[in-house]
Order: sequence, then structure tokens, then C-alpha cells
Amino acid sequence: MAETVNQKDNFLKGIVKENPIFVMLLGMCPTLGVTSSASNGLGMGVATMFVLIMSNIVVSLVKTQIPSKVRIPAFIIIIASFVTIVEMILEAFVPFLYEQLGIFIPLIVVNCIILGRAESFASKNNAISSLIDGLGMGLGFTLALTILGATREILGSGSIFGFKFVPDDANTFILFILPPGAFIALAYLTVLFNKLTTKTN
Amino acid sequence: MSKKKDTFINMVVSLFVITIISGFSLGFVNDLTVQPIKDAKIAKKIKALKLVLPEFDNNPVENVKMIKSDLAKDSVEIYSALKGDENVGTAIIGSSEKGFSGLVRLMVGFKPDGSIQNIQVLEQKETPGLGTKMKEEKFLQQFRDKNPTTFKLKPTKDQGDVDALTGATISTRAFSEATQMAYDIFEKESSTTQPKKD
Amino acid sequence: MSQPIIVSASPHVHSDRTSKKLMYDVVIALIPAFLVSLYVFGIGALIVTAAAVISCLVFEYLIQKYLLKSEITVGDGSALITGILLAFNLPSGIPIWMIVVGSLVAIGIGKLSFGGLGFNIFNPALVGRVFLLISFPVQMTTWPTAVENQTALADAVTGATPLGVIKEGLMFGETMSEIGSRIPSAIDMLLGITGGSIGEMSAIALLIGGIYLIIRKVITWHIPITMLVTMAVMTGIFWLVDGEHYASPVIHILSGGALLGAFFMATDLVTSPMTKKGMIIFAIGIGVITVIIRLFGAYPEGVSFAILIMNAFVPLINTYFKPRRFGSKIKVKIV
Repeated sequence: MAETVNQKDNFLKGIVKENPIFVMLLGMCPTLGVTSSASNGLGMGVATMFVLIMSNIVVSLVKTQIPSKVRIPAFIIIIASFVTIVEMILEAFVPFLYEQLGIFIPLIVVNCIILGRAESFASKNNAISSLIDGLGMGLGFTLALTILGATREILGSGSIFGFKFVPDDANTFILFILPPGAFIALAYLTVLFNKLTTKTN
Repeated sequence: MSKKKDTFINMVVSLFVITIISGFSLGFVNDLTVQPIKDAKIAKKIKALKLVLPEFDNNPVENVKMIKSDLAKDSVEIYSALKGDENVGTAIIGSSEKGFSGLVRLMVGFKPDGSIQNIQVLEQKETPGLGTKMKEEKFLQQFRDKNPTTFKLKPTKDQGDVDALTGATISTRAFSEATQMAYDIFEKESSTTQPKKD
Repeated sequence: MSQPIIVSASPHVHSDRTSKKLMYDVVIALIPAFLVSLYVFGIGALIVTAAAVISCLVFEYLIQKYLLKSEITVGDGSALITGILLAFNLPSGIPIWMIVVGSLVAIGIGKLSFGGLGFNIFNPALVGRVFLLISFPVQMTTWPTAVENQTALADAVTGATPLGVIKEGLMFGETMSEIGSRIPSAIDMLLGITGGSIGEMSAIALLIGGIYLIIRKVITWHIPITMLVTMAVMTGIFWLVDGEHYASPVIHILSGGALLGAFFMATDLVTSPMTKKGMIIFAIGIGVITVIIRLFGAYPEGVSFAILIMNAFVPLINTYFKPRRFGSKIKVKIV
């Protein structure tokens, strides 16, 4: 485990090359479920990022102490604890967001990005690298969810971060704040993202 | 940096330690947040009450009255607002299951004379773009300062006085029915608690 | 109704029946229904149809030329038919910009995103229509009533569709005999004097077009007949059991988009199964889903949803009901 990790690449890969949403298509459940507005996407992204960073750090610290046969249950307990902490904190201090995100907060536990990073990265690398990996992946996730949420909110409600820029009785594309709109918007954003990133490489 | 061997005792001990630590940390965070969570819930209710009631200075959430009514399945919550010692209004939660997709729950605020101060939609699953417009000012403002004894809580289509939402007569009916239910309870309550002086 | 360029098993019969000719047969078949709507809705029907056709053709050209940089296939008639069918599924009073949006969705999302010609999974016109229905429910369910003077635009008076009237009445707890007086008679529905989308007015005109397509062998009877029979049987059972709370099969078949869907939308060559057996299963599926949506769903009409849902099953149906290979024994068991 003495290999040195290029921390800059380690950080950037989560945002561009291995973006969990637009490239790896992981964690689709919250991605499609909560992104009906930009602030929902941002809130969900930040909550997931917090859990991801904390679980990455803890997993990388205790990795040598866990027998490999029980590593998955151990990771899940660690992740679930952080998710519960996030849930209680949100309910206490940001009740508005807590209500909006609803069932999707406890569901962060089963978000495959978090267990995936714990299994494939944090359990093989040191705490610093894991923290940076979690930060990069978390930012990539947050960015994707915010962009998706913003797109759907602009088209579906005619507003951005709750700020309405069309008259109250204007016709907006309601479809985009409904589940089918999530799929359509995600598909076209993925096309756009991959078009842009392959061009720059 | 060798991994712990997969012996039975190692597995049990490591999982045990992890669960103990996680249990304690969750307990700790719970202690920290239990009060703020309670406050946030009350603050939310008061916020809703402030929207439907005239200005008040007591805490209506503390002296909420739960009554059993044959009009509703569950018990109905009644909040009384006081300013000083004077009763300035009552908020009642009314509901109807005849919405386009089921339950519609409203909080209706009444002035002491029985006229509607304001209505707040608490819960609805109506069609987006049609029935969901019941939350909008344009629809709600027609109920303000109306007394249900003279203002018939029915869509104009059913010989009532409520201007229906475009394309959502059913949602309008459910909304009116829920408001009517709240009013019926209000009537019943005020006649039992304040017997008429004559 | 797009072009049959599916590469199926041999024999590849050669004839002068190009996809272009098939397309124009479909256009001809749609003329009677268009004339009826022109008579009922006046010039509004013409404006909506023209707007949809022009924007479909323009979007197909623009996307293929500038976005995909591929071969331009505007001339093959498929975009023309998508435009006509989209217009036929819209109310005549709908704002023009919504038609343009619907055309963009139909051509852009419904057709070209999947690879264009012959690769689209879903019927493009229905994709556009459903997008509009969900996004703009008020405008999409505001049906202008028949006009007095054909040169005038339909006024804003809204007459609900028969199915809409029934749905609302039943949800309010009325019985069929109470509602009966408020819906048009079967004769009116046959002729087309009722509320509804542009193309779904007259049952007779749609039947004439459908029969023309069958005679010209553009479509076979399997899908339309099976779908209509399924609907009739299912609604018939409910009606016989409880005639006060379910409308009769006659109303169900003659009203709404049942006939338009059966003859013109479900039979689309690209998005329907290749074999006869497959077509029958496909059509039964559409009939059942339509009836379920109409009787128990939130929307009064479900034909377009049903066709789109069954479109998604077509690749699966094609896997299980493969066309028999030319020359192989008939008794080959299908796995």
C-alpha cells in the first residue's frame, strides 16, 4: 500500500472522468427521485457527500481491523450510522429540506456510490486519499444532482432555486417535475456531458 | 498492515465493537437533536397557524383540542388562538377523500363569527397543473372573509358559490367538502363550548 | 405508419410497394376524418394540422442537418404522417406554440433520439401527444364545441368529451342513467358531432380510412380488430354486471381515441410486432390497458398510454414470436 496517489487526479476523477451520475450511472434512485428542484438536488448531494466522506475516512481507518468475511456488514453499519446522524441533524435544523427529501434520506444507506467507494477505494487506501476521493465523488454527485434539479425546475416550474422568473399562470412543462421528466432530462444531460468531456480530452 | 484473520472470534469482536461505537454515537447525536426536532415541529405548526389565523399571542399548539367527530375517521385537531384573554380565532383541520387521487387535507382558520380567515392546504395528491392549483392564491382568495352560512361551499356547477379550478371540478369539490367539514365541526364546537345566551 | 425497413427473415419479396407509397396510402386514409373535423371545427382544424405538419418536417430537417449531420429523410413521408397524427390527437383550440413543442418532442425525442427511421421504439406522434397532455392538462382537455360557421375559429366554449363527462359523473357518485342525457347519442358519435380531438370525431370516417388501409394491404386486420374486440368484451362484462356504474361497450368503442388508435396508431409498422401472433398479443394488451385506464385510472381516456406501454413490449414479443424462417418446417416449436 505504499503506492503514491496523485491527489489532484484522485480529486478530479469523481467530478469528470468517473462522475458517479453522468458516467457511471450509479445511485439512480435519489437522482431520479428528488431532483424536482435545484435546491432539492443540492441538499441531497450535500447530505450524500457528508456521508460519503465520513464513511470513506472511517472505513479506511478501520480497514485492517475488520476480517474480510464481515467487511460488508461492517461497512453498512458505519454508513447507516452516518446516515442516521444526517437524518437527525436535517430534521432538527433544516426541517424544510428534511420534509422535501423524505424517504430518500434514509435511503442514502443503500446508495451504491457510498458502499461502492468504501469497497473499491477506502478499504484499499489511506485516510487522506479516501477523504479526497470522497470529496471528489461527493462533489461530482452534488454537481450532477444540482444541474439535473435546476434543469427540471427551470423547465417544469419556471423557477431556479425557488426564484420564479415566469408569471404565476404561465404554462411550464409540468412533465419535467414528474418522474418521466427525470428520465428524459437525465438522458439528455448525460449525452451533453459525455459530448463535452470527450471533446476536451 | 495485515488483515485480521477470518476467525469466528475476530468477526464477532469486530462487529460488536463497531455496533457499540455506532450505538453510542447515535445516542449522543440523538440527545443533541431531540429538543431542536421538537421545536422545529412546533415552529412548523405555528407557522401554518399564523397563515390561517388572525394575530394571536398564545401558543395554540400547547392547548390543542382533539375531538372525536362522526364527520371524520380520526379525531380532529382544533386549535384556539387567543390574544390576551380574548378568543380571536379557531383553526380546524378538515379533510375529504373525494379528491381526484384521494385525500385532501386542509387547515381552515375561522374568525369568532364563523367567517373564514384563510385556508392552507396540508396534503393533496391531485393532478399536477390542474388540481394542484388549489394551493394558489388565485383560488384561495375567493374564500377569505366568507361565511359558509351564506357562501355555499360547492362548485358553481353544483349550484354553489365556489369558482372551480379549470379542468379540476373534482378537486374543487373535494376542497369545498373539506372546508365544509371544518366549518361543521367549528359550528358544533362553538355551540357546545359557548352556550348561546338567551 | 413509418416505413417498413425492418430487416426481417427471408424471403425478401421485391415489389414496387416502396415505403413512400405506403405513406401516401396512409395520408389518403386520413382524409375522410380530416374532412369531418374541418366541418365540425372549421378553420381551427386546418390551422392545427398545418402547424403540426410543417413543424414536424422542419424539425426533422433541422435536427438531421445540423445536429446529427446525417442523411436527410424528410421526403419519405414519415414526418408528414407523424405531423398529421399528432394534430389529430390535439384539441382544435390549442395554442400554436404548444403544437410546435409537441412536434419537437415527437420528432426529436420520440423518433430521432432512437436513431430515426425504423429504430424508434415508441410511436412518435403519441410521444408528442402524451408529453403535451401531461405538461399542459388544461389546454389539452379544453375541447372547443362545434362551430356554426366553418370559416370561423372555434370559440372558447368547452364541451367535455363523452368519456370525460362519464368519468366525472361516476366519480361524483352519479349513475349511468343520470349521466346518459348529457352525453351524445351513439348516432352522433358515429357521425362525429361530439367533443374531442381533431381526428377522433367521426367513427364512420375513421372506419372508412381503416378499411381502405386494409384493402390496400398497408395494415392487416389483426391489430385493430383484436384491440376493439378486447375492449368490447372487457367493457361489456363490466357493463352487464353493473350497467349503472359502467358505460356500455358501444360508448367505449365509438368515443375517444379508440378507433383512431386502433387503425392508425397501434398499427404503425415500426412500433408493432412482426408476426400475426405477436400482433394479436400486442393488440389484446392495448385493449386491456385502455379499458383499465378508462374505468379505474385518473384519466378518462387511455388509448395513447396503452399504445405507448405496449410499444415497449414489442421487442420482447418479437423475441418470442419470431417470423418463421422461409423453408423451415411449420411444426418448429417456438421456445
